[in-house]
Amino acid sequence: MATKRTIEVELSTTGLGADGKPQRIPLVSGDTGGLALQTPPVLEPELEGEHMLINIGPQHPATHGVLRLVLELDGETVVRCIPHIGYLHCGFEKIGEYRQYNQIIPWTDREDYLNCVGNNIAFALGAEQLFGIEITPRCTVLRVIGMELSRIASHLVWMGTTGIDIGAFTPFLWSFQERENIYNLFEGWVGARLTTSASRVGGMAADIPDGWLDGLKAFVRTFPRTLSECDRMLTRNGVWVGRTVGLGVMNPEEALNYGLSGPMLRASGVDYDVRKDFPYLDYETYDFEVPVGVHGDVYDRYLVRMEEMRQSVRIIEQAIARLPDGPVNVDDPRVILPPKHKATSEMESMIHHFKNVMEGPRPPIGESYVAVEAPKGEKGYYMVSDGTAKPVRWRIRPPSFVNLSAIPKMVEGHLLSDVIAINASIDIVMGEIDR
Amino acid sequence: MAITTRVVDRPVDESSYIRATFQGLALSFKHLVDPHKVTVQYPEEKWDIGPRWRGTHRMLTTEDGTAKCVACGLCPTVCPANCIKLVPGEDAEGNRYPLVFDIDEFRCIFCGYCQEVCPEEAIHLGRHYENAEYERKDFIYDLKRLTSQTHPVCEMWDPADPRGE
Repeated sequence: MATKRTIEVELSTTGLGADGKPQRIPLVSGDTGGLALQTPPVLEPELEGEHMLINIGPQHPATHGVLRLVLELDGETVVRCIPHIGYLHCGFEKIGEYRQYNQIIPWTDREDYLNCVGNNIAFALGAEQLFGIEITPRCTVLRVIGMELSRIASHLVWMGTTGIDIGAFTPFLWSFQERENIYNLFEGWVGARLTTSASRVGGMAADIPDGWLDGLKAFVRTFPRTLSECDRMLTRNGVWVGRTVGLGVMNPEEALNYGLSGPMLRASGVDYDVRKDFPYLDYETYDFEVPVGVHGDVYDRYLVRMEEMRQSVRIIEQAIARLPDGPVNVDDPRVILPPKHKATSEMESMIHHFKNVMEGPRPPIGESYVAVEAPKGEKGYYMVSDGTAKPVRWRIRPPSFVNLSAIPKMVEGHLLSDVIAINASIDIVMGEIDR
Repeated sequence: MAITTRVVDRPVDESSYIRATFQGLALSFKHLVDPHKVTVQYPEEKWDIGPRWRGTHRMLTTEDGTAKCVACGLCPTVCPANCIKLVPGEDAEGNRYPLVFDIDEFRCIFCGYCQEVCPEEAIHLGRHYENAEYERKDFIYDLKRLTSQTHPVCEMWDPADPRGE
């Protein structure tokens, strides 16, 4: 039993004691005074043996970022899993307290870096609620296109990297080809592929250039073919099915109790989608299906995400058909920079231009919270304003962070190699978790 | 027009090893003979970047070769990464000009806000992506370097591109 005690000493974390002084709290179950994590499964007597403690990560490609998983193994079976996070902490929220609202938008590129345009737009929605601005109809439709494109891009990365984790290399190449097409579209629109900074409070960085919609239509035409090819490679493949079915099962009650959202929750059979239940950007006027699973395992999450990509294509098709003409930015000189030719020729516009940059747009005192359906789940932006140009507090509700909290539950009792598949199925981005 | 919920099909029973292997091989070989090529042979063949590309900076100049910048201070104010150092000067006629205008391209995040706010259309991001240097100090672009670079500039936020203004 000496080995066992060593493990318990290793598995400790810093915390505060009853007297308020820092101390090491052992992460053990039971009534030993430590933090009760979970009861290890009762093993048959002949299997009782030495447990091994291993680290996966933080520098492991299969952890999808700098996630460190401490696993206690009995043979090859996971007895306990403790995720360690914080290796990518950048202090976005604190930095944001020293930036004007538009200046925070480049930071939203960098938290969930697979869904940049979606983050930009979600932040702008939150700021607009704070400012009390109604965006223009053209901007609304353009934002829907941007959000759905970045949802597809994020799911493609998920499918490709999960395939690699489980041993399927070809769909990775195909999905990244299609992702390149999406990034070409973003490059043509705002000039950057990954760190787009596409939105502004009250509008977008720029209108789409001439001919951009043709490129989007070509993408919408060719993408379903690639998707069905990946579907043929994976969905009915015995290896894929064998490595995903029955893993990391979360039933609906557990999923809700853990606060899961997005495809993780829908795969468990709960049809919660922010676009459906709390519509924003006129999503309620689009015609699409919310896919839900039944079993809540890795295979269902895969199916739900594949179907979501198809539904996103449907939404983009409808958005192209209804894209109205007109201005993208609101006609409100308090928040939006005037057009460059006016700023350099008219006195009034020049004054607005300088005041907007030097002092920044100032919202009324108040707070706002906007949640959107990000590819990973429900993503929220919370802002508090004291009437100055910079937020007093800015907070992200990161879906990956909440979804990751379920990993100790999901991997318990599974094999070590299945930890990789289960971890991949959460679709985490560490930039968003550590912020 | 409605948002509906649908339970996804779960074709676990139709899964197979041998059939899926041959199907996958057939699909892969179809891609092998498919003339649709996506790879760019990079050093020989350059990527054609878009007109709105946000790359390393350039300072545009007037006809007599001096920088257009009037040292108004908007770009160092708006820069989210605080990478622009500007020291304004004033000539005998009272015209402001930049004594020092350094951009630290290491800190720069290429958001393009400096170009967006510039009232003189002086500082621009460039359509350029091969930025390697031999020394770290060469990444701090001073005024001389910013004005002497010749790559094309980003067309977003320029009056020439009314849709991107």
